[in-house]
Amino acid sequence: MPKTMRTGLTLRQKKVGEATVVRVKGSAGIHEAEKLQGKLEAIAAEGVTMVVLDLTGMDFICSQGLGAIITGHLRIRRNKGELRLVNPQPAVKKLLETTRLTKLFGIYDSVAAATS
Amino acid sequence: MVISSNLKAARKAEKEILREVAKHGYAEACTFAIRLALEEGLNNAITHGNRMDPTKTVQVDFDIDAERAQIIIADQGEGFMPQSVPDPTVEENIEKPCGRGIMLMRAYMDVVEYDKNGTRIRLVKRNAQKG
Repeated sequence: MPKTMRTGLTLRQKKVGEATVVRVKGSAGIHEAEKLQGKLEAIAAEGVTMVVLDLTGMDFICSQGLGAIITGHLRIRRNKGELRLVNPQPAVKKLLETTRLTKLFGIYDSVAAATS
Repeated sequence: MVISSNLKAARKAEKEILREVAKHGYAEACTFAIRLALEEGLNNAITHGNRMDPTKTVQVDFDIDAERAQIIIADQGEGFMPQSVPDPTVEENIEKPCGRGIMLMRAYMDVVEYDKNGTRIRLVKRNAQKG
């Protein structure tokens, strides 16, 4: 099955220094976006100020998934914090560029770069 | 096919259509585009068109061959004017969590046509591998 057809979303969270890193695997489409938003809102509710979304394993995202990330960003900003994106795959990066969200988020090549 | 106005029903329609796309060997980038437009179109019909009203349905028709994929989605809502949707890429809208669906369909599909009421959309993507 082509990877862009896979469904399901896995979110793995860990601390790297002061940052909370969420490794995203799978799809953030219309069926999974709510899960992603819930995770980011929960992290923001803990008062975390640096959140890194590792998108290396994200095969697909739609506008609902983007909305989940933006909502997370707004919640984290209320903590005077920041949401950073890491290593989106080419198709996801193209979507971020098409929507001009590359102007809203810092995009890094690695978790190490995003958390340094 | 006719589906109910909920995302669970949309998932079944999506699976069937994407299975057909895979059968015809569409390139990864084309498959991404078709899935994206399909999810945007279904979400708009269910959430905005029919407002998730369980008494309303969405009609999804598709015709996919090796040359091109055509998908038609029609809702039973009141309709809207697609040209009145604000540009989500301008600065004042960039932090809004929604409003990108139509823009993305237009960016990724070769044809995006609404009927005059805005309740029916026709989407077409040509298979890049076929030139």
